[in-house]
Amino acid sequence: MTSIYYKKINEMKKVFIEGAIQPGFVAEAIAKHQSKKNIGAHNIFLGQIRADEVDGKQMNAITYSAYEEMAAEKLHEIREDAFAKFNLTCMHIYHSLGKVKAGELCFFVFVSSKRRKQVYQATEYLVNRVKSEVPIFGKEIFASKEFQWKVNV
Amino acid sequence: MLRIKYFGVMAEVARCDEEKLALKDKSFSSLISALHEKYAIYNLPVQVAVNRKIRKQNENFNLEENDEIAVLPPFSGG
Repeated sequence: MTSIYYKKINEMKKVFIEGAIQPGFVAEAIAKHQSKKNIGAHNIFLGQIRADEVDGKQMNAITYSAYEEMAAEKLHEIREDAFAKFNLTCMHIYHSLGKVKAGELCFFVFVSSKRRKQVYQATEYLVNRVKSEVPIFGKEIFASKEFQWKVNV
Repeated sequence: MLRIKYFGVMAEVARCDEEKLALKDKSFSSLISALHEKYAIYNLPVQVAVNRKIRKQNENFNLEENDEIAVLPPFSGG
């Protein structure tokens, strides 16, 4: 690969977290913004694993995998688009890889702006685009150890 | 030989994460035909990415030896 490719990857932010996103990590992310005094509004989306029942079987975890190189490029593009579209101070996107149990967090989108109006729209825009355009794959694991591949609706 | 990566359910269909395929020529349409012959991809809800960009299965262009090719099932993040 060329050095340009590596430069691009290095400029990209860390998105993937091994296993569940811990509530303490979310708290820490909020705390880091207390020094940024031009921010007047934060909005947070947290995706949590639901214990769905399918044909009488209880789902108890999702194992995520991703095409990480393409995901990094796509997330970079989504982030640039969101900064162009909304008046944001900063934005953070985190997603789990590996196993996340029901009740745990797998997706964390954090948007900050000077005023509140745009943070709602920006959060929804980011969540929708990540779900539909970033190559992440979820395998739903049942208590019986059977599995099925997750489909986004 | 072209190196192909498989993800999600496609890695289970192919029984590997990655493999090398020999094509009769280096066109994208030959790649799609070879993948269909081996894994019946026309019947699967998969997309093919070349160098991390999704390409339409009916597009035609030439591939390079070190192109990064990936077969991707529907995305289900979140």
